[in-house]
Amino acid sequence: MKTHLVQMAPRLGDVRANLDRHLEALEHAREEKAELVVFPELSLTGYTLKDLVSDVAVNPARSPLFKKLCDAGRGMSVVVGFVEEKEDERGLFYNSSAFLAESRIAHIHRKVYLPTFGMFEEAKIFAPGRNVLPFRAPFGKAGMMICRDFLHYGASYLLFAGGAEVFIVVSAAPGRGVSGDDGFETSRMWGLMGEAVAHFSTAFVLYCNRVGSEDGAIFAGGSFVFDPEGTLLARAPEVDEAVLVCDLDLGLVRDVRKRWTFKRDERPEIVLHSLERIVRDYED
Amino acid sequence: MKINGAFVEKVLTRFIREELGRFGFSKGVLGLSGGLDSGTCAVLAARALGPENVLALIMPYGEACPADIEDAASLVRLLGIRSETVEITPQVDTYFSRYPTDNCVLRGNKMARERMSILYDFSAREKALILGTSNKTELLVGYGTIHGDMACAINPMGDLYKTQVRELAAWLGVPKSILEKQPTAGLWPGQTDEGELGIAYADLDVILYEMADRRRSVPEIIALGFKAEVVGRVADMVRRSEFKRKLPPIAKISSRTVGHDFLYPFDREK
Repeated sequence: MKTHLVQMAPRLGDVRANLDRHLEALEHAREEKAELVVFPELSLTGYTLKDLVSDVAVNPARSPLFKKLCDAGRGMSVVVGFVEEKEDERGLFYNSSAFLAESRIAHIHRKVYLPTFGMFEEAKIFAPGRNVLPFRAPFGKAGMMICRDFLHYGASYLLFAGGAEVFIVVSAAPGRGVSGDDGFETSRMWGLMGEAVAHFSTAFVLYCNRVGSEDGAIFAGGSFVFDPEGTLLARAPEVDEAVLVCDLDLGLVRDVRKRWTFKRDERPEIVLHSLERIVRDYED
Repeated sequence: MKINGAFVEKVLTRFIREELGRFGFSKGVLGLSGGLDSGTCAVLAARALGPENVLALIMPYGEACPADIEDAASLVRLLGIRSETVEITPQVDTYFSRYPTDNCVLRGNKMARERMSILYDFSAREKALILGTSNKTELLVGYGTIHGDMACAINPMGDLYKTQVRELAAWLGVPKSILEKQPTAGLWPGQTDEGELGIAYADLDVILYEMADRRRSVPEIIALGFKAEVVGRVADMVRRSEFKRKLPPIAKISSRTVGHDFLYPFDREK
């Protein structure tokens, strides 16, 4: 399956301009015969939204914007990042990613873990999502995580336990820390998790990070793809815009799971019972 | 938008006193133009710190606004605060004789920054902190000179709209000649804020209040009965002037960066 990870720099707060960039990228993907196109976290809005959040929010069920994206993405699977204001929860804003397939919204993931420390203030503007659920994609079972979700390994576990074979992680991760390497120190952290999750979930891990800068924060890029053995298939440059093209051999999941039986031997019910005990015995 | 003069006076005089005291200062210095904002700030400062602890710098350019200078001088006498008149004419003229321009905004910005540099010099000489006099209207539409009249150590009036400053001034007993004066940045003869901004403060403040305080959208404000063109223009001014309300962005490279995640309170351990 030919996959495009669009490592772009959205324009902060300018949904119209970003939509145009998406449509261009989708046209390019179609010409290149891509089947899956992934845009980063909040690709339609930019990241450092602060009080702009309510101005850029959309209800995807009624948004003409999503109609355009679905039309432009017909025949392909497309992941886009946006600010969601649901019909029945007006005034609450989610950091969401939509999975579009067969000209409709097949699934929406709402970011569960909202970083709020140091330079991050997501919980000041977003409501937290409550689910990490795999879903049926045209190419098999998939799951999505948004940026910080991926650094909490419980989120990956839920997708693994739920049977996902392709983990799609979208990100707006600023680079932090430099050493002697030609990249940010924090990029190592993402790669480390990518490799480990791919290997131990025997699943593909696609990580699409954004680039560009907002108010001094410099988004690191470095998007990557690991295969179900934890082998790096492709990696985009740090900091520069790029479309990372990668051909996924989806049959590899079956091959690897025959050899590495982590999925077969997993015992979610033991995890569940143990977690129930842990949560029940929380001390005040 | 109505304010209670007595309450706001109490809050702001306490703020001035406590904030200066925290940093070990008992004196304040401010630029006094003879206009409403600096006049109101001078009264607040005199009441907060005692008149002997307030130094007003009157910084005229040539004979540009004689009535304002007269109003400033009489307010100094009325309040019993200290004052110093520092002409900015020589340095401004010297500069523009070398780099001439007819652009009033360039000239006005230069004058505002000359006054700023004098204020900072006096603040160090006098061990006094600079009291800012920018109001909320100016801050929101960016009607001020960055690093000029917007520069200060603390700003007691930055959350009061111009019309609210006038209300407070009336409560404080600011003299009529100042209270009823047409607001002007004094950039050229006959200039008025309202003329330059193209909108009366009464309307501008209501639009800003709806926009900022009540978070109403542009279409919602137009629906209140304002012209679309006017609301759009105000929204543009607010949008375009964000840089004046922020410190410059620092390119984040390290794991801990000033302004990003090296974050301590202004009033740290004070």
